[in-house]
Amino acid sequence: MDGMRNVIYNHGGVIQASLVKVCGLSILLWLVLSGTSSAHRVTIFAWVEGDTVHTQSKTGGGAPLKNATVKVLDNQGKRLLTGRTDAKGAFSFQIPQKTDLTVVLDASMGHRAEWAIPAQELGKMPANPSTSVEDPTRTETLKGREEFDKKVVIGMDRREMEVLINQILDRKLTPVIRQLSELTHSGPKTTEVVGGLGYIFGLVGIALYILNRKKNNPPSG
Amino acid sequence: MHISEGVLSPVILVSGAALTVAGTAIGLKHIDAEEIPSVGILSAAFFVASLIHVPVGPVSAHLVLNGLLGFILGWKAFPAILVGLALQGLLFQYGGITSLGVNTFNMAMPAVACYYLLGWAVKGRHKQAALSVAAFGCGSLAVLMSGLLVALSLTLTGDAFVPAAKVVVISHLPIMLIEGTLTMACALYLRKVKPELLDGRYAQRYL
Repeated sequence: MDGMRNVIYNHGGVIQASLVKVCGLSILLWLVLSGTSSAHRVTIFAWVEGDTVHTQSKTGGGAPLKNATVKVLDNQGKRLLTGRTDAKGAFSFQIPQKTDLTVVLDASMGHRAEWAIPAQELGKMPANPSTSVEDPTRTETLKGREEFDKKVVIGMDRREMEVLINQILDRKLTPVIRQLSELTHSGPKTTEVVGGLGYIFGLVGIALYILNRKKNNPPSG
Repeated sequence: MHISEGVLSPVILVSGAALTVAGTAIGLKHIDAEEIPSVGILSAAFFVASLIHVPVGPVSAHLVLNGLLGFILGWKAFPAILVGLALQGLLFQYGGITSLGVNTFNMAMPAVACYYLLGWAVKGRHKQAALSVAAFGCGSLAVLMSGLLVALSLTLTGDAFVPAAKVVVISHLPIMLIEGTLTMACALYLRKVKPELLDGRYAQRYL
């Protein structure tokens, strides 16, 4: 019994030694080439600026995804418009209607990604602030931004204030959002790779344990 | 190669999952305690291989190594690839959980097919040249067949087959060459250091 067990373990050891090299080679190649872009997964990121929605499409490695199809769907799943990404992976479109929108990226070979834009994100930024403020006494003062900027306005109502703040936030936040979209989605991290390998070897251990339990603990009696 | 969530129709997802369950069951039936380490390590190699990208054209393709797995493991490639893909899906968000069945079948079935087509070279003591050619064929054919299966899955959901297949095959041509060479190198190396592995002792035993 003992001899048989040793034979089994020895075989396992030698196979492991030679196969570990195959695995090691793969890891080495990965470390060398990990800087390049990936096609396993694609991502799309969309943000609203005024009456335009900007989208940025990327591959898993962070490289821009060129010439991919972008579909815009409404809350019923109906297609509103379709476009293609440019050389930088960007695609922009005018807001077609102010309902919940879903931006779907369709790359080749079954790769797909989505980004949802809730309606309130579209609604809070009127296309033309001067026309959206309905108070007739204020309309004149709000005609153009430049004109508006020059005036010291005290006693704005809540709505005007909201429009103004949204405008400023929009302007200030756009570069931040743009940068955020650049930063998200990098390739897999080393911890995830090592973790995955750990899972596999753990499974091997469990399988070996279960299969060898009978041999290791012969029924007493 | 990894089809994302929400691309395929439910019918294809369910049939892919059913085929994968069947293939995995056959594979598990063939595994003995002494073979578990080799299945595990090849599964790990498969898991890591997808991180190696070869940039070609608009999107880069990555190594699959399913030919190597099929060449050595036969039906046991099914459980090995299933585990590798599940972890890639969970940790890297490649593919998806609902499309795991289809993706596993698309990558593991060609491995098994290659085993039946070219596995004879592994079994007997053939000349080095025969083994090299068979291993190269295994590595490249498995990728080609996987690509065609991906195209077929997309076709069954509504894409036109010819353009879809063209994209997949063209973008995988360099990978086919690399995989063929890599599988050949592995086979020759294993023949030198561990011929029993290729003898069919640890490989699929029942044809």
